[in-house]
Amino acid sequence: MSYRPTLTRTWWLKNTAFKVYMLRELTVLPLLFFLLCLVKGLYSLSQGAEAWYLWLAVMQNPLVMLINTLALLASLFHAWTFFQLFPRVMPLEFGGKKVSAPALVAGQWAGVLAVFALVAWLFWG
Amino acid sequence: MELEVTIQRYLPEQSSEPFNQSYTVPYDTSTSVLDALTYIKEELDPTLSYRWSCRMAICGSCGIMLNGKPMLGCNVFLRDYVQTGMLIEPMAHFPVERDLIIDMESFLTHLEAVKPYLISKDSKESVQSFDPHNQTPRQLDKYQQFSSCINCGLCYSACPQFGLNPEFIGPAALTLAHRYNLDNRDAGQAERMPMINSEEGAWSCTFVGYCSEVCPKSVDPAAAVNQSKVTSATDLIFSLLGGRS
Repeated sequence: MSYRPTLTRTWWLKNTAFKVYMLRELTVLPLLFFLLCLVKGLYSLSQGAEAWYLWLAVMQNPLVMLINTLALLASLFHAWTFFQLFPRVMPLEFGGKKVSAPALVAGQWAGVLAVFALVAWLFWG
Repeated sequence: MELEVTIQRYLPEQSSEPFNQSYTVPYDTSTSVLDALTYIKEELDPTLSYRWSCRMAICGSCGIMLNGKPMLGCNVFLRDYVQTGMLIEPMAHFPVERDLIIDMESFLTHLEAVKPYLISKDSKESVQSFDPHNQTPRQLDKYQQFSSCINCGLCYSACPQFGLNPEFIGPAALTLAHRYNLDNRDAGQAERMPMINSEEGAWSCTFVGYCSEVCPKSVDPAAAVNQSKVTSATDLIFSLLGGRS
């Protein structure tokens, strides 16, 4: 008769690797909030000036700004974990030679900077 | 020098639940956990059961959980646990037969299911020819890292997805499937893909990544499993376009 251990709901509290994993997965929650804000903003835009200004006012609420700042930090943290995993999942070759992992990670961050620069130019340029 | 070693015992003829038992073990700088287990069995308590064979991290028989982390008993030393103490448990996520002996049946079933051997273009079974199969260093490099697996199963004890669902094919078996798919001498990818594409295949992995952290041979199963997702997605596109299955 064998003994069958079962995994409890708190299995992820057992070690640091699991906690970091859960933190990575949890980043979806503030991001979900940000996406809902974005969808509501687009809908408000289609409903006329009054709805749009009301949405803008809600976006300036300190609590909403706090959660959206958290969403930005969460997405950057998720990107950091994702960029590190990318070279292991999609090893790339260029001219018959393997592209090094640091180069792939740096390339992805360069992409993030390019997007930030584009957004900054669009809104403040 | 002496260290107290606590072991999770399970003696089904005595109790249906496991219990902890502590032993005081003498050690020096070269005493491994496997040496400690052997000392306990030979000098203190002959009822202790555990598996071992090579004593040099090659056979993969002596997997245990040491303070909650999957490790090979022969590959870890008492000298590093003086401050923290030592709790030895059987490998997680497997049924326990007795003390540190687990039932690896599910692991072996998954391993067999992915056909971890060269399948030739002709026979569809295995490579029949005894002719040499030459490979260039670049062809070897594609899969070599993934071929170092010793089937110790530590990655299964590190994988919460396998812990939650034992039907998940799991890190080592998916890594071996990927290893053979990457081998230019092999023609068996079409036979392996249905298993890799299935719900219990590569897509059950959520890239916790702990399997790669505990692998004693630096195989990086998490990378192999997630590379398999790329292969699986490519396979789906090809099959939708009416190409290879």
